[in-house]
Amino acid sequence: MVAICKAQTPVQLAPPLIKYQSVFFKKSATVELKFAQQGTQIYYTLNNRTPTVKDKLYRKPIQIKKSFTTLKAMVAGEQFSTSEIVTATFIKDGINVQSVQQTPANERFPGNGPNTLIDNEGGLPAIGSKTWLGYQQDSVEINMVMEGKQKLTSVLINCLQDHGSWIFLPVQIRVYQFDERTQSFQLAGERMDPINGNIPGASCVPVQVLLSKKTITNKIKIVLNKIKSLPEWHPGKGQQGWQFIDEIKLY
Amino acid sequence: MHRRNFIKNSALLSAGVLSQQGFLFKEDPLLGQGNKRYRLNTKWSKADVARNPVNDCHEMVQDSMGRMILLTNETKNNVLIYDKSGKLLSSWGSEYPGAHGLTLFNENGTDVLFICDNNRHQVIKTTLEGRVLLVLDYPKETGQYSKADEYVPTETAIALNGDIYVADGYGKDFVIRYDSTGRYISHFGGRGTEAKHLLNAHGICVDQRNPQQPCLIVTSRQQNAFKRYTLDGVYMDTIPLPGAWVCRPVIKGDYLYAAVLQTNTQQGKQSGFVTILDKDLKVVSNLGGSEPQYTDHKLEEMYQTVKYFQYPHDVCVDDEENLYIAQWNSGKVYPYKLSPVI
Repeated sequence: MVAICKAQTPVQLAPPLIKYQSVFFKKSATVELKFAQQGTQIYYTLNNRTPTVKDKLYRKPIQIKKSFTTLKAMVAGEQFSTSEIVTATFIKDGINVQSVQQTPANERFPGNGPNTLIDNEGGLPAIGSKTWLGYQQDSVEINMVMEGKQKLTSVLINCLQDHGSWIFLPVQIRVYQFDERTQSFQLAGERMDPINGNIPGASCVPVQVLLSKKTITNKIKIVLNKIKSLPEWHPGKGQQGWQFIDEIKLY
Repeated sequence: MHRRNFIKNSALLSAGVLSQQGFLFKEDPLLGQGNKRYRLNTKWSKADVARNPVNDCHEMVQDSMGRMILLTNETKNNVLIYDKSGKLLSSWGSEYPGAHGLTLFNENGTDVLFICDNNRHQVIKTTLEGRVLLVLDYPKETGQYSKADEYVPTETAIALNGDIYVADGYGKDFVIRYDSTGRYISHFGGRGTEAKHLLNAHGICVDQRNPQQPCLIVTSRQQNAFKRYTLDGVYMDTIPLPGAWVCRPVIKGDYLYAAVLQTNTQQGKQSGFVTILDKDLKVVSNLGGSEPQYTDHKLEEMYQTVKYFQYPHDVCVDDEENLYIAQWNSGKVYPYKLSPVI
């Protein structure tokens, strides 16, 4: 099962601990990086590039103000090979949402109360972080009401991907806008994401759905569909998987 | 989530992309902080992998003769008996497919072993040679279980009077107390929202460091904590270990040692280390982990710093204060040995 690599390599450092309240923010987000091991340094980038020892040396907490800023950080030190990279993308608040209603989540993963999806809390890739709504059913519906009609260009759904814990990204997302004239919901945007093999570890994935140019409404409905059963390569193949969401932003 | 499978699966998946590292050391590396620092020897075991393979190395104990006894779920040889230099002396056992917990108890001058088998849903007491002395089936008497499958014992602890405590760490998280003959006495713990409840009660030990007030220390692994109870099962307090998926507590002298399977922020990514607490239950050293830091008497989140270990599952401390680290799902490696640096 395990390929044995005989090559002698220096032992690798672990990635730094990344600490933040939430990846979602109104004005700014503060990120702290930690690594309590003598003789090592943390390097980071904010431009989506892979950090090297030539990039910024971490000295104090970082303030992030620009939406969709991705922090990538790693640790380097003599006698060790450099660590893997930790990544977090910070996302600014979108259009104000007046109310949200969603399919009730599994009792074990109830999130943070009724406003979990619009409370600007989340983006921590641990399933125990209490911001996640966890679902085992095939389809999840979310209804959002805005203050008056708004022109929308996209919807962002923050999802957890943790294949080892049986949690997969939605394979299909559909966004509908409420049409006053017909008093019905009309499709405004859709995306399909087939599952492409195993990804180790847990990560937050902000999934964006682009909407048609004519999306002007005060109500939207979002439908998330998960994989019907776990894929062939998964140890739980054929069984039910999960989808986890913790925040939705409208732009 | 299928809780029992949950952690197993998370690492099974990553196993496919793992490569067993051959570390390049100028000299044996030094791990830990303060006065609990150790030199690492990854080649302690002299066992022949073709003859005596291991799968998950789950737990290890030392017997009264000074021999090191390893439990693995490799049914070619569930129990490997070594001397301290790593020479394999003997092996036995093919009937423990879910071999997980291993506890040694000196019963009136004779060493006996208690094996928890996850797959068999049983606790088995044996001699050092593997002769079965007692089998504990699922604890119907508690009224909490309707079938054996619901009971997945992970660890035992034996009190001085011979009472047997079983932690159902992959089942319903109860601790079940029996007398030395295997007669049910009581149970406590279980899942819930109160402080006395447990989540992934993976390990247990009897803490006799204060002989006036011996107590039980039980792991609540998914809560990243140990919890203390009286020997009657009354909850005393919680020892938070932020970020750390601690396995069983192991007490030797004044110190408590525990393998940390992985950390919260790096789940499924071989992020384990070994933690050491002093008699005041304060973390004093992390081997392969972050230097412990307390702010206002509160322990800061702990994490792996150097990938010396993948998924450490148990620590055994020998009579010369050397540590042996058994690892789960870590490329079928034999235990590593750590020697103290004075």
